[in-house]
Amino acid sequence: MGFLAPWFLGGLAALSVPVFVHLLRKHVTVPRPVSSLMFFERGIQSSTRHRKLKHLLLFALRFALVLLVVLAFANPFVRRASADANSRLLLIVLDRSFSMKAGSGGMSAGTRFDDAKKQALATLAARPHGEKAQIVALGGEVELLTQPIADDAQLRAALESIEPGDGHANFGELGRAFRALTETVHAPIDLHLFSDMQHSAMPANFGDMVFPPSVKLTLHNVAKGAAPPNWTVESVNAPAELADPKDPKLSRVEAVVAGFNTPAANKTVSLVIGGKVVATSKVNIPENGRATVEFAPLNVAYGSDRCAVRIDGGDAFPADDATVFAVRRSDPERVLFVHEAGDTRSPLYFGAALSAVAQSSYVLQSVVAEQATDLDPSKFAFVVLSDSLTLPSIFEHALEAYVAKGGNVFVALGTSAVRGTRIPLWGGQVQDARDYIRDYARKGAGIGVGQVDFSYPALAQQQPGRDNGGWPEVKVDYAAVVDTAGARVAARLTDGTPIVLDKQIGEGHVLLLATGLDNLTNDLPLHPVFVVFVDHAARYLSGTDRLSGSRLVDAYVQLRSGTEPAIAAGSVEVTDPEGRRPLSLSEARTAQSLRLEHAGFYQIHFANGQDAVIGVNSDRRESDLAAIPDDVLELWSGSSPDAAGGTAIATAPQETKQPFSLWWYVMLLAFLTAMAETAFASRYLGTQREGA
Amino acid sequence: MLQRFLDPTVLAGISSLDLLAKTVVDGFVAGLHRSPDFGFSQEFAEYRAYTPGDDLRHVDWNLYARTERTYLKRYRGETNSQLTILLDASNSMQYSSGPVKKMDYARFIAASLFYLAIHNQRDAAGLIVFDDEVREYIRPSTRQGQLARLFAGLERAEPRARTNYSKPLQHFQNFLHRRGIVLVISDFYEEPQTIIQAIAPLRFHGNEVILFHVLDPQEIRPVLKGSMVLVDLETDRRMEVIPEYVKTEYRARMDAHLEALRTQAHAAGLDYQLLVTDRSLDAALREYLALRQAGN
Repeated sequence: MGFLAPWFLGGLAALSVPVFVHLLRKHVTVPRPVSSLMFFERGIQSSTRHRKLKHLLLFALRFALVLLVVLAFANPFVRRASADANSRLLLIVLDRSFSMKAGSGGMSAGTRFDDAKKQALATLAARPHGEKAQIVALGGEVELLTQPIADDAQLRAALESIEPGDGHANFGELGRAFRALTETVHAPIDLHLFSDMQHSAMPANFGDMVFPPSVKLTLHNVAKGAAPPNWTVESVNAPAELADPKDPKLSRVEAVVAGFNTPAANKTVSLVIGGKVVATSKVNIPENGRATVEFAPLNVAYGSDRCAVRIDGGDAFPADDATVFAVRRSDPERVLFVHEAGDTRSPLYFGAALSAVAQSSYVLQSVVAEQATDLDPSKFAFVVLSDSLTLPSIFEHALEAYVAKGGNVFVALGTSAVRGTRIPLWGGQVQDARDYIRDYARKGAGIGVGQVDFSYPALAQQQPGRDNGGWPEVKVDYAAVVDTAGARVAARLTDGTPIVLDKQIGEGHVLLLATGLDNLTNDLPLHPVFVVFVDHAARYLSGTDRLSGSRLVDAYVQLRSGTEPAIAAGSVEVTDPEGRRPLSLSEARTAQSLRLEHAGFYQIHFANGQDAVIGVNSDRRESDLAAIPDDVLELWSGSSPDAAGGTAIATAPQETKQPFSLWWYVMLLAFLTAMAETAFASRYLGTQREGA
Repeated sequence: MLQRFLDPTVLAGISSLDLLAKTVVDGFVAGLHRSPDFGFSQEFAEYRAYTPGDDLRHVDWNLYARTERTYLKRYRGETNSQLTILLDASNSMQYSSGPVKKMDYARFIAASLFYLAIHNQRDAAGLIVFDDEVREYIRPSTRQGQLARLFAGLERAEPRARTNYSKPLQHFQNFLHRRGIVLVISDFYEEPQTIIQAIAPLRFHGNEVILFHVLDPQEIRPVLKGSMVLVDLETDRRMEVIPEYVKTEYRARMDAHLEALRTQAHAAGLDYQLLVTDRSLDAALREYLALRQAGN
């Protein structure tokens, strides 16, 4: 026992107050005057004694009250074991990842998930009465379905409510979640994991999936025997946008089919459009290998077409035999390219790059800035301002309205961007202009692009490689320095000058390249990375990449911009693959993004009126049904690297003692004492009053 | 309506004894007009045989002429035409359990009677204030300003010292030459026999003696909630007393004392009246007048 705030014990000096008061009261009596004592006689001794006893009781109560209040402030505590043997927490983790839909093999005809759920229910039923338990679902993310409770019905209902999902399980995420959980739950945990122990669910680092010492892990592997053979459509490369089905470069679908733990086999691969098989192809898949199938041309109708590539698997896991994607066919979209009268090079380079892009279908309409007065920007997919800093005011106003409503503009600053020049739409001036030619002349080396944010959609590259995506080879001779407030810097020069910036204005975006497109201020148009940049920038700025194509389960779709005021926002309508609306009415007006939880086609009507159909596929790592080797499982479950046995580890926290504050109890006692003191004192003082 | 001013609690708020007495008596007399039982006038009362020493001026010579016998003619207004009040001003008289002290109550009575005697009946009135000795003596008189002198004497009569009846009453004999009414106002905390022995001689001169026993209600029926230390106002003696005793034994002893005092007073030819300070003053005046009526 101790005190959390021992300095308050100094208040014990206040105990002298009741002592002082009662001593005084014993000597000071208030005699009552009478005319004569002629008829009175002295009272008997016992009554005086009784009165003194009452004083002593009052004094004791007052003394105790002061003592208890001082103790309460000093906050006494006792050290108590943080948990005893009976307070173990049973954690049931049920894997609901995509691979659990595979057949369990063996004699039963159910799926792995069915077996896992049965075993989990049996484990829940067999737990000691009164033991607290918690239900956790492991899918694309770790979901705690209940609090630690002992209610059987509630726990069972939570377990029954878990349905197999399409997400990709990751044991590393599970380990991280429980390391965080054990920081708040001090009781030892019995963790039962019901899973197919898929090898692909292991993180790259084994340490990520190790549980803390207070967790005793018991694994229930529902995948019996060796992994069954499984063929799947691993990936599909198809255009999200298609303008001309007869274009041999664009109108084609390339699919990669793969076999996991499979012998060499001949399989039939089909292309399905709108539910109809439009093409089939025989393919010879080597043992445990991959093969590529190509379908061309891709004859799709106008609008959003729901397509799929399907393989006749005939295996134990039919759910992954098809990969879906959406193709949107529309007429080529026009891009407005505004440039200065004397600048003929930038439309040439930009147009050439745009037409060279495999998956885009844009028509470039270049116009001189002075002639742009009557143009309506809303008729274009996006607008490019190439070194055009002086625009007709009518056109500039139209552009501002266009951006505010969701239109996107690409602004390139060339030689016109001298210090103090106002940048249209950006909301600032050119703060400075860096001339690197002199540096080049003096040092013999130019300046290139140093940092590139490859997560930015216009610069996105899946695997930039060691050459940083080719950007360092770009030499920049002249660049403007602009105000970066409120803007995202996507790329910088080696001296730190921002070169690619993005700012959200209203619902639209302005992409700013702080150098030109004309091969005068840099040599970017001469590099291959320029084509990639223009391709990605065009798709990003036109906004078509979010209207079709395919995604993975658990990916997010941005429904509206973050800065958009909620009241002004329109409603978003989402229909999931089962035909349900996953967003409530209030969520439809406010949700910023949507998590794609199920495989299939999502239909989304955005707030700005655009409609999208997106094909969602489960992560194909789930198709590899190979389990984690037994020795790894033993290492994971039975021990940790620095302990001898799981039991010893699990019992270790029982011996730790936590301080348990007695403040509340002392305060309650003080309150009761105060009530008793009030009752006694009022009776006593009442007598004094009448006697006075 | 004026009766409500006779409540001693209300009268305690009146600082001037003159005003107080006027209020009491006028209110009281106004109330009496409806009663035929009491009257104050110089009307004929009786004939009495002449005895040596009687004033010859009061002999009814007309009757003598007819009967040759000498009779004295007496009138009501002439009977007991001198009022002397003996006021106990000992410390015990300052006791009170409410707003009115016994001393105040005694003063109110005395002032009212003085006013009644002098202002209404043209009687001589005097005052003797005593405790263990005679502190003040104002000779009975009907002179101009006598009422003011009596009131001033009452004002000066603050309680102090102890009561001793035997010692001052020896001197009373010297003061009371003429016959009249002698009114003793006291709380009589003394043995009844001692009191009667001290006061009874006053009657030998033909005085009509009335004892007004002034007590506080708490002195007759005291209430104690718990054990308590009591202090004697006269002797300063302290005593711890329990409520059980006060509830039973004390009351019995007090009742016995009152009864003994009443009995012995009557036996000695003295009139006795107990006055409790929570009663209205007209009761005291009624008692006085009743006793006078009886005396005539």
